Amino acid sequence: MARKTIIHIIMVMAALMTWIQMAAQEPTTQPLMPGEAPKPTKYIAIEEEKEKLVFFQGFTLSVDAYGPAAYFLSDYGTAEAALRLNLKNTFFPIVEAGYGMCEKEDYNTKIACKVKAPYARLGLDINMLKDKFQDNRLYLGARYGISKFKYDIAGPAMSDPIWGGSESFSHKGIDCTSQWLELVVGIEVKIYKNFHMGWAVRYKSELSSTKNQLAKPSCIPGYGYTTNSTCWGGTYSLIFDLNWGKKKSHKRGLSIEVRDLQEYPQENENAESTHEEIVTEE
Amino acid sequence: MSIMLLAGCYSNNCPLENNVTCNYGFYDAEGTPIEYNDTITVSTLLPGYKTVYTYRKLGSQTVITDYQDKSLVKLGYTETISQQRQDTILLNKIHSTAEMKLPMSFFNTCDTLILSYRRISLKDTIKIEHTSYPYVELPECGTYRYHTLKAVTATDAAIDRIEIGNTQVNYEGEENVKIYFNGVVE
Repeated sequence: MARKTIIHIIMVMAALMTWIQMAAQEPTTQPLMPGEAPKPTKYIAIEEEKEKLVFFQGFTLSVDAYGPAAYFLSDYGTAEAALRLNLKNTFFPIVEAGYGMCEKEDYNTKIACKVKAPYARLGLDINMLKDKFQDNRLYLGARYGISKFKYDIAGPAMSDPIWGGSESFSHKGIDCTSQWLELVVGIEVKIYKNFHMGWAVRYKSELSSTKNQLAKPSCIPGYGYTTNSTCWGGTYSLIFDLNWGKKKSHKRGLSIEVRDLQEYPQENENAESTHEEIVTEE
Repeated sequence: MSIMLLAGCYSNNCPLENNVTCNYGFYDAEGTPIEYNDTITVSTLLPGYKTVYTYRKLGSQTVITDYQDKSLVKLGYTETISQQRQDTILLNKIHSTAEMKLPMSFFNTCDTLILSYRRISLKDTIKIEHTSYPYVELPECGTYRYHTLKAVTATDAAIDRIEIGNTQVNYEGEENVKIYFNGVVE
């Protein structure tokens, strides 16, 4: 409480001093006498302290390093790339596309499932950091994913324990279309110039999968294992900023100050050129 | 830390019932659910035949075996050899129950069930026509055999009528066949 009071007093004093200084510098305007021409004026652009972000900040292209590593360490992996649009460093519409692979055989039941297929995701990330000008980001996002694929499933022959008889169990090319939703939490940091790295954790929920009389797919490309109706996933992204169409600097707000040329004789020579610069910037 | 703890707790969604059975519900003639008081033994016919040896002697109890016993012949028994359908008991002497769960054949299109009662000497025969197909929910759960009921018929020793309740026989545990016994519960 005391700290807030001190800050408040300091701010009031600073504002008061600024007002006194501005009042001291303000030129006095005299009413024109009959027949007197108005004095020439000069327009000077002054940058405001608060910067305004350009709406379109360019594209980013990213590739996932976690998916290929997972393929070598487990039964399931992906190769994935994403193209992301940067709007005001705040909103990031994103399209992700990849190829998922899964070859799984259960140790106990000896039932094997195999699937290889492309997938796509569409979504939006939102930068949650207050300072939108910095290159690091903490974002929350959501995705809608879809994959149309065919899978194979095979297992040991089935035997009837009472009536007897046996039948092989092997089915190939079962059609399936799956859809799912993802919630994404991630960070990314600038490493060097246009190169960023970041990771994200994803909570996935299966919306629907085409039902088949014989089997349910044990893996969905882009989603993961279907052991439960929800699952966790992650990405480790290598991100490259592609500055297509991005303006080189943030546009700053302009304010126009009208000054009497006679009071600033030393600046008269540059008056015309300054005016041209303003027009160019606008 | 929480994610690591969650990842450490692995569980699968395999069904608790690892046997797919056809569920039969018991009703009286008017359709009221009942607990049938008689003792029932359910057997089924299997593919193939077996050799049965029957030994009879006047004034002695008849002996039926699936092996030849020469000692009985020496004692004066008359031996009769016959071929009978193979069978096996699925449920032995269930009593005062409102339902029964029975397995179905994987590869036959018709199952024959024989119901023996304690209070009446006659037996009932139930015939169930069905198709079967394998199903894998998850590789770690193994392969299940599901069935689709096509038709069901029964004799009328103790059974008034029989009908299909749910054609899909899976591990959901729903009642598939309704057996209406003779008589009405007051």
